[in-house]
Amino acid sequence: MATIQLTATLPSLPDGWSAEKDFKPIDHLSAPISRAIEPVGPHFLAHARRKRHKRTFSEDER
Amino acid sequence: MSAEQGSPEPTQDQPERVAIGISFGNSNSSIAYTTAIEGKAEVIANEEGDRQIPSTLSYVNGEEFSGTQAKAQIVRNPRDTITSFRDFLGKTFEQIDPSPCHASAHPVSVNGGAGFVVQDHTEVKQPEKSTLSVSEVTTRHLRRLKQSATDYLGKNVTAAVVTVPSDFSDEQKTALSASAQKAGIEVLQFIPEPIAALLAHDAKAQIAAEGGPASEHQDKIVLVADFGGTRSDVAVVASRGGMYTTLATSHDYRLGGSSLDKVLVEYAAKEFLKKHKTAKDPRETERSLSKLTLDAESVKKALSIGGSASFSVESLIDGLDFNLTVNRTRYELLSNKIFMAFTRLVESAVQKADLDILDIDTILLSGGTSHTPKIASNLQSHFPESTIIISPSTSSSAINPSELSARGAAIQASLISEFEKEQIEESTEAVVTVTPHLHNAIGLVVAGGAAGKEEFSVLVEPETPVPVRRTAQLTVKDGGDVIIKLAEGGRSIVVSAAEKATTNGAADSDDEDDDSDDEPEENRSKVWATQKVIAEAGLRGVKKGGKIEVQVNVAADLSLTMVCREVGGKGGVRGVVQAARVELNGNAA
Ligand SMILES: Nc1ncnc2c1ncn2[C@@H]1O[C@H](COP(=O)(O)OP(=O)(O)OP(=O)(O)O)[C@@H](O)[C@H]1O
Ligand SMILES: [Mg+2]
Repeated sequence: MATIQLTATLPSLPDGWSAEKDFKPIDHLSAPISRAIEPVGPHFLAHARRKRHKRTFSEDER
Repeated sequence: MSAEQGSPEPTQDQPERVAIGISFGNSNSSIAYTTAIEGKAEVIANEEGDRQIPSTLSYVNGEEFSGTQAKAQIVRNPRDTITSFRDFLGKTFEQIDPSPCHASAHPVSVNGGAGFVVQDHTEVKQPEKSTLSVSEVTTRHLRRLKQSATDYLGKNVTAAVVTVPSDFSDEQKTALSASAQKAGIEVLQFIPEPIAALLAHDAKAQIAAEGGPASEHQDKIVLVADFGGTRSDVAVVASRGGMYTTLATSHDYRLGGSSLDKVLVEYAAKEFLKKHKTAKDPRETERSLSKLTLDAESVKKALSIGGSASFSVESLIDGLDFNLTVNRTRYELLSNKIFMAFTRLVESAVQKADLDILDIDTILLSGGTSHTPKIASNLQSHFPESTIIISPSTSSSAINPSELSARGAAIQASLISEFEKEQIEESTEAVVTVTPHLHNAIGLVVAGGAAGKEEFSVLVEPETPVPVRRTAQLTVKDGGDVIIKLAEGGRSIVVSAAEKATTNGAADSDDEDDDSDDEPEENRSKVWATQKVIAEAGLRGVKKGGKIEVQVNVAADLSLTMVCREVGGKGGVRGVVQAARVELNGNAA
């Protein structure tokens, strides 16, 4: 996927905000829905290969 | 594109496999291949020069005719001409709808399934006629397609990717596979027609945008509407990073181009009877009706391009010739009800997918009937302006809708033709295809518009399969310390009344929600809102006008990694949000 270019402004860091290594996990992602991807096209083949070899995106790119 | 890297070794012990794409409809079939050099999909013209080959076989004095020649025999030789049989495959005789065959050979019960009785041999035999199962008819038809492709390519075609409707059952696939095998075609994979159409469309867009930033896939919701001859099928597909997930489908087994032919036949017959008050009704004589129907189809096709077209039938009935010019406006008026039915079918698929018409980014029109300009323009006015309609009359770069699914099949064939059959089967199994999809969008909480109000900016669209990775960049105008809030968001449809000049008194307009077909008096728009914040990251000391990059990586187990950094700067923030452990512990987190 191409990099998404956003034209928005980020809020300034509130006074007194602090977190370990400046990162604060707050909540989990909601439960996903299980659906079937169509086994068609070049991007699916890449997906199937990653799944077979249990590889991540960056490992896949090496 | 690196997708083919590391594909398994080609099969060695077999002779070279020559694979093509086949679309096999009740009305027409097409064969396609990909060019070795450019990798472009092309539809093959058969020996008669047809790229849409009627799925028809006819026996004349025992000799077999196929395609256009066979279709022409409906007039002279209806009972020895077999049409519209694809949907009979793998069904019991009780399950089939024989109505599309009313003008040709009528289906009979053969070993519990459907079949046809035709005179397919020249020698004097007993019985005079043969009973052919629909499987045998399919084999004969596919043998013709294989031969045409083989002649064209100069290589013996041995395998194919074949498109089937999105609701084709396993029994139907098994039957079709067996019929193909007997015709000398190994079916490497069945792929749904709408997905094949989308693959062909995307592949062309890809080639067109080669190199540029648009050559990467954009996430979009695509509605593929396949308007065929006897039936029409719609699929709503989430296209995410070039992968396709079908969200919903809807089908109408009685709506298609032949419904439009019938409208023209009715009109023509009435005009004929107006001119010839004492003549017999051409609709009541089988041969006259077939002549009129064939001509109606040509008139209809011509009206997709021209402003008028003419019937010209020699000796329609009682030796009377028939000529009639129909203009497009008249045709569109006559067909209005049927055109509306196409729009309704599309609308029903949107509803089944639990989406709003505002969610549909693109409508891809596929199938022969999609050449009809009015069908496309009706959709254009039903859907918001943001929806792009891909059809010959609305988009100059549209691929011929009659060729879309065959081309897609050819592209898929070229992608998998080196794989062994077992490997193809393995990668189409549920363990590989069934994948968690995000329910909500993931994005950033930002200060948007003029008022600096909080807004939600999407990075990962809903219905995206995981694992997924997305990267976004944005500029920090003033520099300094900023907070990057990653959140889940949902979209809602906001309805605001359009400014009305009418003075409607002070009446409470609360209960104006009756969905009457009045002029739309409201603006509907899609608005994203933050639902819950997942994580916060602080990025300190950003340069004035510095560019920030945020990368989100959601793993298959729904754990999330976020990396934020200033482009060209040092360091950055990296953090992980664990997945909720709902299965293990009911009150997790
Ligand atoms: N240029 C055109 N303008 C209008 N209609 C057309 C045009 N070309 C083909 N058609 C119509 O498209 C229909 C055939 O569509 P298509 O080839 O997609 O059908 P199919 O998928 O084989 O059939 P089915 O829906 O019966 O399974 C026919 O009714 C034909 O008349
Ligand atoms: Mg079709």
